[in-house]
Amino acid sequence: MRRGQRSVVLVALLVSVTWAIPAWLDAQEGSARGGTLVVAISADPGHLNPAITTSGATHTAAELLYNGLLGRDERGDAVPDLAESWTIEQAGAVYRFRLRNDVTWHDGTRFTSADVKFTFEEVLLKFHARTKASMGGALAGIDAPDDRTVIFRFKQPYAPLLLQLDATEAPIVAKHIYQGSDPQTNAANAQPIGTGPFKFTSYRKGAEIRLARNPTYFKKGLPYLDELMMRVIPDPGTQVLALENGEVDFLWGVPGPDQNRLRSDARFRMAQTSYHPGGSNCIMTVSFNLERPILKDVRLRRAIGQALDREAFLRQVLFGEGRVATAPISSELTWAHAHGLNMPSFDRAEAERLLDAVGWKRERDTTRVARGVPGVPDGTRLAIDFLHFPAFSKYGELMRQQLGTVGIDVTPRPLEPAVFAPTVFKDRNFDTNVISYCNGPDPEIGVRRMYHSSQIGPAPFTNAAAYRNDRVDTLFDQASRTVERDKRSPIYRQIQETVVQELPYVWLVETPTTRAWSAKCGGFKAWTGLFAEAAFCKR
Amino acid sequence: MSNVLRTPGGALGASLTLAFIVVAVLAHVIAPTDPYASIGSPLTPPSRTHVFGTDDLGRDVFSGVVHGARTSLTVTLAVIAIASVVGVAVGAVAGYRGGGVDDLLMRGTEAAQIVPRFFLAVIIIALFGPGLDRVVVVLGLTSWPAIARVVRAETLSLSRREFVDAAHALGARASRILLRHVLPNALPTALVVISLNAASVILLEAGLGFIGLGDPRAISLGYLANNAQRFLRVAWWMTLFPGAAIALAVLGLNLVGDALSDLADPRRGDRAARMA
Amino acid sequence: MSARYLLRRLAQVVPAVAGIVIVAFVVIHSAPGDPVLALAGQHGDAAYYAFIRTKFGLDRPLPEQLLVYAGNVLRGDLGVSYVHGRPVVAVVLERLPATLLLMTSALMASSSAGIVLGVAAARRADRPADLAVRVAALVGYATPSFWLAQIAALTLALGTGLFPVQGITDARQAWTGWRYAADVAHHLALPALVLAANELALTTRLVRSGVLEALATDYIRTARAKGLPELAVIRHALRNALLPVVTVIGGRIGMLFTGAVLVETVFAWPGLGQLLLSSIQTRDMPVLLALFLLVSLAVILTNVMTDLAYAWLDPRIRYE
Repeated sequence: MRRGQRSVVLVALLVSVTWAIPAWLDAQEGSARGGTLVVAISADPGHLNPAITTSGATHTAAELLYNGLLGRDERGDAVPDLAESWTIEQAGAVYRFRLRNDVTWHDGTRFTSADVKFTFEEVLLKFHARTKASMGGALAGIDAPDDRTVIFRFKQPYAPLLLQLDATEAPIVAKHIYQGSDPQTNAANAQPIGTGPFKFTSYRKGAEIRLARNPTYFKKGLPYLDELMMRVIPDPGTQVLALENGEVDFLWGVPGPDQNRLRSDARFRMAQTSYHPGGSNCIMTVSFNLERPILKDVRLRRAIGQALDREAFLRQVLFGEGRVATAPISSELTWAHAHGLNMPSFDRAEAERLLDAVGWKRERDTTRVARGVPGVPDGTRLAIDFLHFPAFSKYGELMRQQLGTVGIDVTPRPLEPAVFAPTVFKDRNFDTNVISYCNGPDPEIGVRRMYHSSQIGPAPFTNAAAYRNDRVDTLFDQASRTVERDKRSPIYRQIQETVVQELPYVWLVETPTTRAWSAKCGGFKAWTGLFAEAAFCKR
Repeated sequence: MSNVLRTPGGALGASLTLAFIVVAVLAHVIAPTDPYASIGSPLTPPSRTHVFGTDDLGRDVFSGVVHGARTSLTVTLAVIAIASVVGVAVGAVAGYRGGGVDDLLMRGTEAAQIVPRFFLAVIIIALFGPGLDRVVVVLGLTSWPAIARVVRAETLSLSRREFVDAAHALGARASRILLRHVLPNALPTALVVISLNAASVILLEAGLGFIGLGDPRAISLGYLANNAQRFLRVAWWMTLFPGAAIALAVLGLNLVGDALSDLADPRRGDRAARMA
Repeated sequence: MSARYLLRRLAQVVPAVAGIVIVAFVVIHSAPGDPVLALAGQHGDAAYYAFIRTKFGLDRPLPEQLLVYAGNVLRGDLGVSYVHGRPVVAVVLERLPATLLLMTSALMASSSAGIVLGVAAARRADRPADLAVRVAALVGYATPSFWLAQIAALTLALGTGLFPVQGITDARQAWTGWRYAADVAHHLALPALVLAANELALTTRLVRSGVLEALATDYIRTARAKGLPELAVIRHALRNALLPVVTVIGGRIGMLFTGAVLVETVFAWPGLGQLLLSSIQTRDMPVLLALFLLVSLAVILTNVMTDLAYAWLDPRIRYE
């Protein structure tokens, strides 16, 4: 071949290859595109507005319809979502966000900074419990100087903001839909308009929610699925049956007894995560009502801690799915979780010794009686109650058995959630209880409320122990004002050392959940509420 | 009574019911193991040491079933007791007095019969909290109509007999007539109603336990069934034995009731008295 | 059946309904704590509680409150569910059709099977086959419905792959027309089967004894001796047996609802069962009370209908 001809051939080859590669890539995507994903959810959400509630049921169902300013990656760090970039100014007192300009609401209206300002001021800070509790007091104001800029100004440097801006903690709703109405009764709560990867199709109460692909989603190419259907299946056993029978493709949680079977079944994949739309990084925590005379002595509380075999809880209640808690802060928050703390170790002999030392003696009865215990009349039996959600009755059983062996009479009292909250936090009518305290993505969000004295009150799931320690209060205030993690770590370490010493709570086990899905599908992000943003199902 | 045992159905039913009662009464002898104690390793299938296997907390299922039967029996007896006292009182007064009083009491009986027991129990438990005493009171106060009807019918038929007038003339009080004549005659039919009632009480208690409204402090067959739900695939013994116990008890009571009613009046027209 | 009887029977509905309303009222006010919690549930805020207080006149003397409550109920106003944010009646009526479908299917299945089995048992009365049929039917009644449901889901659905384990329709495909009906029927099969198994014993037993009675009458014996075909004999005997079956259905409606609730839980059937469970968890008292009133009303109405049907079917009955 002559040189000229060879060049032409080469060029032609090059051109066809460079043209073919994108087409080949498109074809790859094309094979992943389409399909319907069927998800099992445990409870009817009631409505589909995640900005006015922290209810797990609503968030599970509705987060795919919205976005937050930021998202979170697998490690829990903030990544851009509606905001494409940000700067932190004045040591963390001012946060400036630059928003994308290619985002539209499902009804075609353009998304602007006015939506963000409106959502925070009129919706989140009024109705979203976690955002209100954490940001509400600290925020000085929000400015939206132009369509693409939002500025958060705080009274003091505010550390946790970046982790509180995802669809779970701060989903952004449309100003043009909710302006001038009561967000709790607006009809859009049943027919939502969001910016998310999926748009609303239909909602049959108590039965199912249908979503369709958002063709104008700002992340090009996403989502892959054409349709997403959520089925309400309250019974977890039926959920597993439905997965195995091919009726659903994705489960948010797998009951312990069924996990081994599904794991060894090649038709399914599983992934464990500590994230849940209702709350992440949760620890099952036993609270002591420090106002009760019996529980005032820290040695007694330590004895209880040492009488508890937490490995047994992990085995028998969680079937191994989880970890024994080794610090008051979840191990998922790696930078804040302290190591080497003096947590009560399982030692029955030591527990018995402590109880004797305090003055609780073993006499004729199996239950110890007080002989010379300060603040407790002689002859009082060491009998305590233990409040819990009915779903946590196994914890009650184990508490009763384990503490029974050291002479403590425990009466488990199951209370439905609606009754539990007022009984514990309003009436404070309990000796001990167990609560799934979720730390959240940052200790400021879920940990402060357990120990800060300002958090003692009727609001549910705050400081159940009624723990007061001025130094711990100061440390928490300090931590929330320090933005750099390496400076916050030592503060949280001091806090954890103190509360482990004073034991207002006993931290039992960390409770991740296991997602399961059909092997025909994939691309799930188990660590976020936008779990199906990049999911696909092979046809 | 012995006639009941002559029919195959009656014999089977009587033996099942008797077995249930004996097991329940002698629970501590038959199953001395504490049903609440975690003594075995969890989720082990039936074996020589644990005849019915162990549950998820390592508790002996056999012990649980036996003591659960005891609880069910206690609840049933209490319900029957309350229902009988109220039913006899209402039925006797209605049958004896007749007229307007009878009419009024019968309206009340109908109203009480209409009340759906399960749903009322659900509301009571939702308002007052779980507990066997609530279950007993609710079921007792809604189970008496069938007994009242039987007693009333018997009282009505008796009050027309001459010897009652004679006894009356001799100065015998109404209560004496009631005790000596009415009740013994009403007993066979009442037993039918009672046995069928007892069967449905056991099923209702199990149903309440299944949806989580049982008494968590009492090992009952309903609680066991509720607990066993999650483990259906991995530990079939946890759900089989409590379920079978319930089924056998209810079956036995029904067979006895059937046999009794066939005997009492094989051509009986008032079928509404059955299946209370 | 005379018009007088019809009117009298319908008039009896009034005291029955009044009785139920009074029971509900007594229950609400005997509960510990503020009656507003019993009427409005645990979740409401101060504004909502104030609204409920006015609506039910909770500050007025008890007898007046009873009248207000009764008035509200009769107007169909059972309050607003704070949990659902909508009127209670709307929430309940939404879920009612699915449960009614389940119950009617189960009734029809158990009635047809009961007739067949009852006749078979009557014709072989007191022989082993008779006892076998009766015990088998009784086992269906004695086995707790939730237990049967779980076994059925495990073996008949997952085991064979022929039936779905949850829902009323296919999750992946939305069918229309007759294919939709077929889809619903496919999902209805197992739950209705389980519920029917529970009811079978009663129908079987009643048909059996009714047929036995009729077969023993002189009329039938003569007819048989004269050579009347067996089929005609059976048909006549059956007519006699069906009357008590009809009557008893009224009495069983309460238990049928209960069974439906338990079965719905296992099969994720979107009816009143799930509503009951979630309302218990959230202590949504207005919904629970509404369910109680609804089922009671169903029992009352069914009783009326079966009484009327009984009177119409059997010309020998004249309740003047």
